[in-house]
Amino acid sequence: MTQRPDNRAWLLMLPAMSVLGIVGLVPLIAVFNYAFFDIFTLQSRFWVSTEWFAELVGTPDLYAALGRSLLFSTLVVLVQFPLGIAIALMIPRGRLAGSLVLMLVAIPMVVPWNLIPMIWLNLLHPTYGTVAQMFDAIGFDFDYKFNAVHTYALLVTVDTWHWIGLVVILAYSGLSAIPPSYYQAARIDGASRAQVFWHIQLPKIRPVLLMALLLRVIDSLMIYVEAFGINAGGPMGATAFLSLELGEEINAFNYGPAAARSVLYFLLVLSVAWLFRVAMQRETQ
Amino acid sequence: MTLRGLLRALAFLALAVFIIGPLVQAIVLSLTVTLPHPGVAVGDWSLVNYRNIFASPALVASLGNSLTYVTANVVLTLAVALPAAYALSRYRFVGDRHVFLLLLAFRITPPVVLSLPIFLLFARLGLLNSPFGIALVHCLFNIPIAIWILESFISAVPREFDETAFLDGHSLPRFFVGHLLPVIAPGVGVACFFCFIFSWVEVVFARILTSTGGKPITMAIDALFTFQTDIGLVMAMMVLSLVPGVALIWFVRNHIARGFQLRA
Repeated sequence: MTQRPDNRAWLLMLPAMSVLGIVGLVPLIAVFNYAFFDIFTLQSRFWVSTEWFAELVGTPDLYAALGRSLLFSTLVVLVQFPLGIAIALMIPRGRLAGSLVLMLVAIPMVVPWNLIPMIWLNLLHPTYGTVAQMFDAIGFDFDYKFNAVHTYALLVTVDTWHWIGLVVILAYSGLSAIPPSYYQAARIDGASRAQVFWHIQLPKIRPVLLMALLLRVIDSLMIYVEAFGINAGGPMGATAFLSLELGEEINAFNYGPAAARSVLYFLLVLSVAWLFRVAMQRETQ
Repeated sequence: MTLRGLLRALAFLALAVFIIGPLVQAIVLSLTVTLPHPGVAVGDWSLVNYRNIFASPALVASLGNSLTYVTANVVLTLAVALPAAYALSRYRFVGDRHVFLLLLAFRITPPVVLSLPIFLLFARLGLLNSPFGIALVHCLFNIPIAIWILESFISAVPREFDETAFLDGHSLPRFFVGHLLPVIAPGVGVACFFCFIFSWVEVVFARILTSTGGKPITMAIDALFTFQTDIGLVMAMMVLSLVPGVALIWFVRNHIARGFQLRA
């Protein structure tokens, strides 16, 4: 694709950038500003310099929450990527059957986020939950409320249900962009199914997988609505992820510390995005 | 059928059960009487929950609010994202490489991080408790998504297509609406789909902006939880909230996996 150098193209960018300025940049600047104040009301606030940051960085709480979030993200990636890629590989090339599978995995993505915990807790409801009754029948004592391992298992299952479609759709879109001649060449060389996967398919879908990885890592690191709805960070704070701690601070009206936390989270998200960009540029070279 | 084909069919069956199963129980509950209502007994099959939705002004209003804010968001997002996607696809300009990182940053910024200043800013702009406030704030993640998708669809159209139209004397706006839009229509559809669902499912901004009024479906459902919740009614609202999204999946089914050839 040849692109003409022309700085007047900024005129075409202007409307999008203005809207993003209002809903993105201005609030970000405000958050950075609040982070240096002790805020009683917006009219009476006091400059505290970097006190909130020192407090946050100096206590183990932040690192513990970061550890829990990293653990959750790792589990999510380890489950959803092998599973998502496997499903994408199995999708038949036929138009109708392929579309059906893609439509199926896309369904959970259109469910409003606050309803997802409701749907799953319903399945585990002691009196009418189907899954709870199945566990009862086989004598498995599933207790997502007080057993941390079970809470994690439930959260990873729910998140996989919700987002497996994204991994499948992106992997499938990468696979369908591979020219048929690659497969013909592999067949002539007598390549096995595994060799085709490792030497043709996987390298070809790496850029879209990187994109899916970025979205899944960031969204699971910052999971809030679903995790709060399932067990509100319990048992004993075992699933109190980064965003849940921030939500707690906002709900307690600790605006200064909440803003400092927001700034740190934003910088974390930004550095992950930057790493991704570096990886992506290496990929396209 | 070969053994391999059989295994594959079983795998897809398991997938279908995993995906659809949780929704089936919700649908069954929505058709079951879960609290005493006149004329029906608890435990019966009935459409009473759906009738109760349309008998409640607050719930009916929430359906309208949701459709209004999502439509406004999709229209606004596409109106600003189309020219931006064209610019990124066709021109090189100062800072164009950085625009993609900026878009990425906005897409992945968690709503919780921005919820407080957004609330204060929108209070000052008079956009609280209105569907248009939600429509505006959801542009934060939808504009980047729309630009990515549209840019890849526009880049798939050869540059000569533009040149010929310009040689024929068409102006940029005329070319855009009359020639380019029809060609990238599937891309516009896919962008609409993703903007619609990401706006429809979002609740952090929607909650903080509609504390006293203008509640969308999601918040109206939250408000149904009281000391004696009618879970059947909750599930009926949930089923209704899925209808537009599932309908849209049907319309974009052949294009859903296109448009992700990304540049970074």
